Amino acid sequence: MPTTRLLEIDSDFHLLDMTADSGYDIGIDAVATYLPAATASLAELAMRGLLRGSVETLSSFGFGQVHLAGEQSNFQMAMHAAEKLFSENDIDRDEVGAILYSTALSSSATMWNPPRRKLPGDGVLRLDEIDDLFKYPASRLQSELDLPRASVVGINQIGCASTFAALRIARAMIAGEEDLDAVLCVSADKFPPGEPRDLVYNVISDGASAALVRRNATRNRIVACTQVTKGALWDGGSLENEIVAAYFPTAKSVIDRTLSKARLTIGDISLVIPHNVSARSWEILGKLIGCPPHLIYTENIECVGHTIASDNILNLETATAEGRISRGDYLLLFTFGYGLNWACMILEH
Amino acid sequence: MRRNIFLTGATGTVGSELLRRLAARDDTTLNLLVRRTGYDRRPQIDYGLRGVRVAATLNLFDGDLCDGDALGLSPDAFNSLTRTTTHVIHCGGSTSFALPLAESRATNVTGTARVLRFAQQCERLESAAFFSTVYVSGMRRGIFAESDFGDAGNGFVNSYERSKAEMEEVVRAAIADLPILLFRLSTVIGDSRTGTVHGFNALHHAIRLLYQGLAPMVPGMPSTPVDMVSSDYVAEAALHLIDNQAGCGVFHLASGERAAAIGDLLSATIESLMRFRPTWRKRSIEKPLLVDLDTYELFVRSVEEAGNDVLRNATRSIRTFAYQLAHPKVFATRQTSEALADSGIAPRPVLQFYPQIVKYCVESNWGLQRC
Repeated sequence: MPTTRLLEIDSDFHLLDMTADSGYDIGIDAVATYLPAATASLAELAMRGLLRGSVETLSSFGFGQVHLAGEQSNFQMAMHAAEKLFSENDIDRDEVGAILYSTALSSSATMWNPPRRKLPGDGVLRLDEIDDLFKYPASRLQSELDLPRASVVGINQIGCASTFAALRIARAMIAGEEDLDAVLCVSADKFPPGEPRDLVYNVISDGASAALVRRNATRNRIVACTQVTKGALWDGGSLENEIVAAYFPTAKSVIDRTLSKARLTIGDISLVIPHNVSARSWEILGKLIGCPPHLIYTENIECVGHTIASDNILNLETATAEGRISRGDYLLLFTFGYGLNWACMILEH
Repeated sequence: MRRNIFLTGATGTVGSELLRRLAARDDTTLNLLVRRTGYDRRPQIDYGLRGVRVAATLNLFDGDLCDGDALGLSPDAFNSLTRTTTHVIHCGGSTSFALPLAESRATNVTGTARVLRFAQQCERLESAAFFSTVYVSGMRRGIFAESDFGDAGNGFVNSYERSKAEMEEVVRAAIADLPILLFRLSTVIGDSRTGTVHGFNALHHAIRLLYQGLAPMVPGMPSTPVDMVSSDYVAEAALHLIDNQAGCGVFHLASGERAAAIGDLLSATIESLMRFRPTWRKRSIEKPLLVDLDTYELFVRSVEEAGNDVLRNATRSIRTFAYQLAHPKVFATRQTSEALADSGIAPRPVLQFYPQIVKYCVESNWGLQRC
């Protein structure tokens, strides 16, 4: 029986699914993540010369340890996350009509797996490595996961907001294409080996995530989403102060806009699913948006760190597993990525 | 009868406004105490007087509020001035919010005590005017009347406020002996007719930080009043009272109950920057958030712990006065309003001329370029 679609385009040309009860629900039906087994504490990172800031300060910001991919590539981490998604959930592989492979780091968008040590001599790439730059993980993922019906698209250039963009685009694709029912969103990022792991008060972990966005989802209906880009702050290296200063006012503005689109207030939100940046920053942002600390799921900040684009999926997965979320709960997901991008999404679990 | 005015702080924000008006009077001799700097201050005084038809006799005296009881004047100069001076107008002092208290005290308390002693020795003294700040009220909340003094035990936000409150104690102790007028100024932001800013202060610096996108939040509620006045109002009101007021008095040269709200000021700042610097819009800088004091302090602490020097300094400079916003108050102006009732002198609503101030800040690059 055909379903009735009630879609609305808001002033920012966001597609709003207004049919909460109509059966036309696009949502994140399944999630899975992968974290490398190897970990390093802040003290160990400091000993290896992988921290610029002090252990004490970063510890006071809520960080404890990170996961390190070592010799594993981005692709291998992505495969682990995607395989876990399929093994733990009832998904017909023929159902997946598209793969959105999102990455934050430019290097993650190819098969290039930089060596642990710097290249000898003048550091010029070897020919086989240049060749790797033209090998794309999305296609290989489609092949190795045996998803022959899935076309692939790469999403990058929006930093840690990449996964949000993938979810948003997946939702729009499903809403716009009648023959598309499920999109696999995969993200994996491996921080360049040998580089300090603390970046703008955050400590970076390696990791990957996979999410299935599905028509008629049984959970996590995407109620509203917003992404704001401030291109004037594209140069993260030289504009760090301006970026830090812009973070809070814009974050509050984006969250308020998303709540407004969803016709909700912060009081309707059962749990905030954050990105794993400093717990201190969430303490401040929580005050700004009027959300008490116990409704912000910051449990993974200390033990995982900031996995770049996979934090929110990881936190959604563990919060669900821990029973922190009940059916019908409204969840507010928020992240921030270089570029400069702020993104917020509200789900109905 | 010819007036002999001894004026300190003639190159400052208020002093320069008074100088321009007094210099046009042909019945006046102006003796300016200018801080000894090792170079000729005359060009600076002349620049301040550009466009003024100087009719008064102008004498410059090298000196220093911090240089002994004679204010750094030679014995001959000191004696000559005490014989001739009819009016003392003391605008000199430190307005820095960030100085160590001892340095603020040296200029604002000890320096003022020396000016008082000088005034007590003036044989023909008719009036002695001292300039203070409404922020001697410190972290009081509510209404601060002209008859009130000090912080009432609530503490001060910075060394400037404390040193000025201590200065007032010194001045009050001399009221029995001298015809003292005490002017408490709120934040002087520039000329209401032209937008010209003669002295850039913490507020102008805050506008620059907002312009640069380095002011993410300030404490306060949207309705929190921020008292500001124009330099022309301050100068006209003070001179009218010096000319006409008999006896002693304390006057608030402030907007009082007509002070603008911080929410409206922030909006006006953003609108003005977009209007007078259209390319600024491209930077998509958000209006600073108004937050409670706890949130602001948490942010400040985080920047102190992890920020680099630029952000740390930006946050510190806002912090030197931002705490006032968390202690909202209204500076009552009843006495001043009554004294000025028939003069036609009254403060203009700030939002009427504030955009011109922002324009001047931007076009002069905060005083680095001449407009």
